[in-house]
Amino acid sequence: MIELIFVLPLITGLLPLVIPANLGRVLLLITALLHLQLTVMAWLGKLSPAFPHFFTLAPEGLLILSLTSFIFAWISLYAFSYMNETQISNKPIFNCCMLLFLGTMSMVTLSDHPIVLWIAIEATTLVSAPLIFVHRSKEALEATWKYILICSVGIALALLGCFFITLAMDIASTGGPLSFSYLNTIADSLDPLWLKAGFIFVVIGFGTKMGLAPMHTWLPDAHSQAPSPASALLSGALLNCAFLGIYKVHALMTIAGLGSFSGNVLIAFGLISMLVGAIFITHQPDYKRMLAYSSIKNMGIISFGVGIGGFALYGAFLHMIHHSLLKSSLFLSAGNILLGFGTKRVQRIGGVIRQLPKTFVSFFAGFVGIAGLPPFGMFLSEIIIIIGAFQNRRYLSITLFLFTLTLVFAGVGRVFMSMSFGDIVEEVKVREKPLRLLPPYALLLASALLCIWMPDFVYTTILNSIQMIGGTIHG
Amino acid sequence: MINLTEILLVLVLLSVLLSLGASRLMALVKIMALQGIAVSIIPLLLKGHGNLGGSAIIFFQIMILIKGVLIPSLLFTAVKRVTIKREIEPFIGYHASILAGLFITLVSVFISNHIRISLPEGHALVLITAITTMASGFFLMMARSKAITQVIGYLMLENGIYLIGTALTKYSHILYVVEFGVLLDLLVGVMIMGIILHNINNAFDDVDTTLLGRLKD
Repeated sequence: MIELIFVLPLITGLLPLVIPANLGRVLLLITALLHLQLTVMAWLGKLSPAFPHFFTLAPEGLLILSLTSFIFAWISLYAFSYMNETQISNKPIFNCCMLLFLGTMSMVTLSDHPIVLWIAIEATTLVSAPLIFVHRSKEALEATWKYILICSVGIALALLGCFFITLAMDIASTGGPLSFSYLNTIADSLDPLWLKAGFIFVVIGFGTKMGLAPMHTWLPDAHSQAPSPASALLSGALLNCAFLGIYKVHALMTIAGLGSFSGNVLIAFGLISMLVGAIFITHQPDYKRMLAYSSIKNMGIISFGVGIGGFALYGAFLHMIHHSLLKSSLFLSAGNILLGFGTKRVQRIGGVIRQLPKTFVSFFAGFVGIAGLPPFGMFLSEIIIIIGAFQNRRYLSITLFLFTLTLVFAGVGRVFMSMSFGDIVEEVKVREKPLRLLPPYALLLASALLCIWMPDFVYTTILNSIQMIGGTIHG
Repeated sequence: MINLTEILLVLVLLSVLLSLGASRLMALVKIMALQGIAVSIIPLLLKGHGNLGGSAIIFFQIMILIKGVLIPSLLFTAVKRVTIKREIEPFIGYHASILAGLFITLVSVFISNHIRISLPEGHALVLITAITTMASGFFLMMARSKAITQVIGYLMLENGIYLIGTALTKYSHILYVVEFGVLLDLLVGVMIMGIILHNINNAFDDVDTTLLGRLKD
């Protein structure tokens, strides 16, 4: 019963509506732990799908599922303390949507049927919109409206893409089940024209959700207006799920012999996203928006790496893992700072090192991480992607890639420095709490650990996910 | 013999043009109700979709209920609640919009003729209508500033996608693939509820999305 992994949070997600809010917090934590346990059981192969036509345990899905589960567990611990110290207008709704969000994201990772995948991604939009609106300010309303409207259009286009893929299958007239694993086996006989059209629509559609430029406009607003645990989840987990949708279709394209076409599309979107992210990061007056733009840029890097393929594909998967860990950690640290100072403006914040010394450590370590410096994993993944691109002789792209990296380093560095070491402008209102410090530390530690020592089972799972489209670790 | 399918398709096309020229929101909602019903009946009449099972007929009935009754009545409530009667300052004027609609129709005819695909009998017109509806929906979303009109634009986009789905698929094994498009209505419903329940009205005293410009770089 592999379906239990997403059914469990979907069921417990309804409970917070009928039980007191304090109990709801505990429920959040308990469900997160149970979900983690089920994920571990899935790793051990103890679970098998009850509806094999719709759900399966693909290696790339498993990877994203465990990432989501791991991050969610720490975020729920953070939210446990966070919820009591901030103004959340409707706590039961918050708990409910967090759990449903986890459920729908798990469903994305497990689905094998294109339409089921699409439904699951649509559901993530529906259940995460209330999370963005939690603070009920005018800005939050605007962010939610943009999020729903833009992502809905994206999702509608992705549905069209799914139609085209089924049409490609119809033309081939092979009467099998409509599932990615079956499509992969008959990829040769699929109609290439409709497959290409389907891929374009799927990339535009799910790319909207993944935050690829120029369809990214909802992302900075939503990530900056959502409460910090939700931002961490949006950035660390949701973007990966949308990426999974694109990756599955890209894999299908590659197997069908259209890999260079889909690869080039992904490279183009990746480069544009990197550039847009990097440009908006410099001189960004709002630190949560800055983190959001950094997410756009990192999604660009992942898309770039996948598009290049080969060795860079391995780098892209590493990058996805480390981006999730580091970025969710950073959003949680940013949440501590936001609680402490009560403002998102960089200018109003100074002297984090003296006022919130423990948060400073995680915040600064996170900066070191996303700037691509060791000991955190992004260092490794970015180098691997660059090497992979060199092997493919994409010199122009590499130049652009390095340029954006420098730009981001400068832009992010300026903000972090002035926030950490600048003069104290305002006094801290809310002190640090251990429960709100532990999760960002743990996520950072996980990234550092994975960089130094990668367990064999993670390694083989990444290899299994990339092998089918020619990904390799032998440069 | 009068071909009922083509009459319906022409009706959809007309509704698209009408909606591009409509300035009163109430009229727009009525047009959308008509379009919704027409769009959900068309698949029933197409050749090659004969021999529908009992469950399929019930399914299409539900579609008609959702697209023709439920969503329009939600829209109706929304229009009443927010007390705005007409779109006063569209980004693109009504006459220009209708002209754009005609142009979109031409382009869709061009596209449909150039897609080299053996469509089943009588599906060519469906494809033209579908692409026109979808593109006009897009156009409406961009050309109007009121939140409600944008939702209506989205609804039209979605009707177009549904029609494209029905035009292209041959119903060999994928009844219940295209039909999932109806789930998009869920999103529409949520958007309208958003307008009704909260808030774009209360918070900004108007449902004008041009007022939603606080977040930017």
